[in-house]
Amino acid sequence: MELLLPLFLNGVVNGAHYALLAMGFGMIFATTGVVHFAYGPVYAVAAYLTWWSVTVLSLPFLVAMGVGIVGCAVVGMASYVLLYRWFLRNDSPPFIILVVSLGLLMLITNLIGVAFGTNAKTVNDVTYGFYFIGSAVVTGVQLWQVLALVVVGLGLAAFMKWTAYGSYIRAMQDNMLMAKIVGINTERVSLVVFGIGSGISGIAASLILVKEGALPHMGFLAVFYAFLAAVVGGLGSLPGAVAGGLILGLVESLGVWRVSSDWQTTIAFGVLFIVLIWRPTGLWKGY
Amino acid sequence: MFTKAIKGLTCAVVGTILAAGTPATAEDTIKIGGIFSMSGTAPYYGQVMSQGAQLAIDEINAEGGVDGRKLELVIEDHKSGNTQAAVTGMNRLINVVGVKAVLSSFSGPTAAIAPISQDRGIFTLNGGGVSPKMIGVSDHMFHNRSMALDLALASVAYAVESGHKRIAQIAIKSEFGDSAIAAAIEAAERAGVEIVASEQFANDATNIDAQIAKIRAARPDVVLNWATTPQAGIAVKRLRDIQVNVPVQSMEWTSEDFAIAGDHSENIFVVTDYFSASEENEWGKHFHDAYVARHGDDPDFYAANYYEAIYVIAELISRAHDAKGKDFASADLTEQLWADNSFKSVYGGTMKFRDNGVVIKRVALLEVKDGKTEFVRFIEAAAD
Repeated sequence: MELLLPLFLNGVVNGAHYALLAMGFGMIFATTGVVHFAYGPVYAVAAYLTWWSVTVLSLPFLVAMGVGIVGCAVVGMASYVLLYRWFLRNDSPPFIILVVSLGLLMLITNLIGVAFGTNAKTVNDVTYGFYFIGSAVVTGVQLWQVLALVVVGLGLAAFMKWTAYGSYIRAMQDNMLMAKIVGINTERVSLVVFGIGSGISGIAASLILVKEGALPHMGFLAVFYAFLAAVVGGLGSLPGAVAGGLILGLVESLGVWRVSSDWQTTIAFGVLFIVLIWRPTGLWKGY
Repeated sequence: MFTKAIKGLTCAVVGTILAAGTPATAEDTIKIGGIFSMSGTAPYYGQVMSQGAQLAIDEINAEGGVDGRKLELVIEDHKSGNTQAAVTGMNRLINVVGVKAVLSSFSGPTAAIAPISQDRGIFTLNGGGVSPKMIGVSDHMFHNRSMALDLALASVAYAVESGHKRIAQIAIKSEFGDSAIAAAIEAAERAGVEIVASEQFANDATNIDAQIAKIRAARPDVVLNWATTPQAGIAVKRLRDIQVNVPVQSMEWTSEDFAIAGDHSENIFVVTDYFSASEENEWGKHFHDAYVARHGDDPDFYAANYYEAIYVIAELISRAHDAKGKDFASADLTEQLWADNSFKSVYGGTMKFRDNGVVIKRVALLEVKDGKTEFVRFIEAAAD
């Protein structure tokens, strides 16, 4: 039983990370229809910009984090304006856009390596404490990860409910054609969605930079976890993204309570397949 | 007249293009393949290994080559352990490039290309992988680095010597990690100490918190860290983050691990192959200085192994020239190695290949202190 609490807390922390990623990824997909696999390297861009701002510009971490978030939002918006928009305007089949996003994933990942080098980047000057909770230890950065989910989740919920753009986004997620007919500038809303979705990933990336450092390929698996959590929760659903992320984190962590950690990924994905068989459209309906 | 001129010009141009496009013939250049990790999660290794090998090749060529024939290194990328990429690379090196020898790296890729080495009779020298599964598959495969069992024996021996009784270990889930974990369990059984936790994680895992939590719950008094760069540094950082402050014995500790672990890079010992540029080791010092002059960094043992490997191959080529002439086959290098299995080592003195194709090397104990790894002593614990 001594192990259960630390595994549970780790599951919550990692689940919060996955949930943040799922929120942004799911929002982009549900609104624009783009399976944005380049979301992964865009997330990595935030980590690298944060690192660059801390180490080269000597900015305080929170300011640097802001640079990273804005920077990756800009890269996300640029990927829509320069690439996806053209294919969407020309009614390209979804699989073509999927291939484009995979190509962009490879392109940005390689560009990060070229621009920053392939070695690990770290910001060791950022200090954080540790706290005992029963038999478990959690670090300050882990608490920030959970706090980030709470703040971003509530902020995004408020944005979706009480702003004009929130209602446009909901309209587009509900029926893209009808949204166009009633006069919503869907391209502008898509641009905003790419910005917000990418910016959310930037928050998660900056915290991972503190926790483990940054590597060019760091977004590769992250985007698949984001995709999976978003699908399990229900694509486009905010509470679904939170639930999907937390379930993924908890299953992954608690799954190795009594068995070897060799089985971690197998257990996590096996359970999630069962969830999807039970609820093929995810746990929640979209916005 | 005009037509003749055009034809002549065309012939000249085509001839020039063909001449420029034709690769150097086998008479001119001997090609050596290198299957390294040039991209993926661990490009560090490919960088230092290729730099070590290329430095040796440049030195040999600057001296006129091997019996007047230049050497050329042709690199294939196994993308940080992708066995399929390694097999593709090996086939390309043999069928397209026409290499006479191959340098391999990482356990998985090396084990994957071993059957091809055997079938095609390609002399293959591994300076990075440590898995015992690479041994005995190909008569033409050799290893100039210590194997997992050698390292595990030494690491467990040092843990026991230091009074530790509860050993935990962590490794990447890979051919390499599996071998190290299994070898340490075997070594611990021999030494009569308890392995209280053996945790592994995926090479591209997004986090290793569950594994670290299980190690903490097992209350070890030493942790054997079989992870490689950069995960070795991440493992230590996460251990220290949750207050697992017992000694960590790593199999390697690179500059990248220092960067990741930061201030946590203390109370760490490294049990590994060790390259030292001491004054007594003239060749080693020459290599160190040349490497630093070219790349600005001190060479690690991976760079040293592949530098040394090129000189081993050059020596074998020279012997094969004498025995078989210039049209020697790759398998002739194997024959020449067994004709005399002792070679000068950049580590100092000579090294000797055992019957299983693995070189006998001493394993060193290093201590990570004040941002540096300091040599403590050699541990004599080589497996039979």
